[in-house]
Amino acid sequence: MRLVVDLNRCQGYAQCAFLAPDVFAMHGEESLVYNPQAEREQRERVARAVAACPVQAITADGLDGFAGGTSDAAH
Amino acid sequence: MPQTSMLRQITDFANRANPYPLYEELRKTPVLHEEEDGPYLISTYHDIEALLHDPRISSDAANLAAPGADELSGPEATGLPPSFIRLDPPEHDRLRRIANSSFGPPHQPYRIDNMRGQLEEIVTGLVDGLGDAREFDLVDQVAYPFPVTVICRLLGVPREDEPRFRAWVDPIVAGLDPDTRTAADSEKAAQEARLQLGMYLNGLVEQRHREARDDMLSDLVHSHGPDGSMTTMEVLSTTVLLLIAGHETTVNLITNGMLTLLRYPQYLERLRDDPGLSVRIVEELLRYEPPVQLLPQRTCIADLEVHGVTIPKGSRIWFVLGAGNRDPHRFTDPDRFDPDRQDIQHLGFGSGIHSCFGAPLARLEAQIALSQLARRLDGPRLVEDPPPYRPNAVLRGPRHLNIAVDGIK
Repeated sequence: MRLVVDLNRCQGYAQCAFLAPDVFAMHGEESLVYNPQAEREQRERVARAVAACPVQAITADGLDGFAGGTSDAAH
Repeated sequence: MPQTSMLRQITDFANRANPYPLYEELRKTPVLHEEEDGPYLISTYHDIEALLHDPRISSDAANLAAPGADELSGPEATGLPPSFIRLDPPEHDRLRRIANSSFGPPHQPYRIDNMRGQLEEIVTGLVDGLGDAREFDLVDQVAYPFPVTVICRLLGVPREDEPRFRAWVDPIVAGLDPDTRTAADSEKAAQEARLQLGMYLNGLVEQRHREARDDMLSDLVHSHGPDGSMTTMEVLSTTVLLLIAGHETTVNLITNGMLTLLRYPQYLERLRDDPGLSVRIVEELLRYEPPVQLLPQRTCIADLEVHGVTIPKGSRIWFVLGAGNRDPHRFTDPDRFDPDRQDIQHLGFGSGIHSCFGAPLARLEAQIALSQLARRLDGPRLVEDPPPYRPNAVLRGPRHLNIAVDGIK
């Protein structure tokens, strides 16, 4: 599955790094690093991360069957 | 005054079950100031969001022009310094960073993720414990004991001490309610309870000094990063905050969640077959029925102009999150619970530097509890609607939620 984080929107709330720690990680207190080609078994965690982002900065495809079947939860 | 003020109506227990019509009225005057020395109520989504990011807004009671009885929370009154929820930068930032280094990324990226299995097991045990009951109270049997068990484990507080600290937690929480906190005796009780709870926790802190364990309390005691370490008093006030926040809010998220799902059974039905839907359900719940309805503890360190109204420096400011979350200028059809809405965003966890510290944990707890309840309760229905509510206007939720079932799987 592919995902993109709009780093202009990202404000470092780190919710994604709590909820999908193998996909998103904090580098220091504010910078986010992430894997744009996350493994399929991370879908559930990525769906949680997408929904939890307070500034809706994460877009992911391939989340079908999670997050209520919405494939693009960031819009 | 011919009419009861909006403020009094919002804090009036009679309106606890459904404050939303009042909020609709409230939003017509986006900056409402009804009484001299009374608070300025801010109720629209975009105003709240903007002001929660405004550095002129302060959470420190020392900046109030006219502190009330409830603000006598300094060391001389309670024996404990304010926790980071009642501090501004840079002290807030230092203490929150140290607390976070024991809780989340970048230092502890897996602490919460590693608890997922335990969370599921705790809920399983509580639902198993319902036996073959045909009616039960969701609050006393699941929604309260679940987050208490979790926060105890996370912090390293013995679960069996819950009856002891509950006797201290209740008056502290009552002290957060704007309706009761003006009463001097309830305020005194809250301060006394905070001190007692701090003394109890100090015993655990001393243990951790001797021997560290795998829990947040040990990490707080032994923290020594770029921000230095917390003093023992800072560890105690932080732990009091996390212990209270860790269960007095999540109980309402879970209970409001089940209440809402029983009022909108089509989503309960869908959740039964699709646990992934719990993610969107919980986000929409945080908008539709937020466990923290308003933030009554802010002020401003300079005169502030909002919609042509000048809020003088040192005024009390209330952010009515529950009203902002139903603002029709932000959300289409805001009074409809709709987990399918494409644009779920909310003020349920606040925003800005004080945004909820425990949000990732609260989300997981609610998602796991609601999914399992949906799956295991056979034919659940409300015994009474609305249910009886807790008195608190800030931390709002049912005191009991009696649910009748045909069986438990």
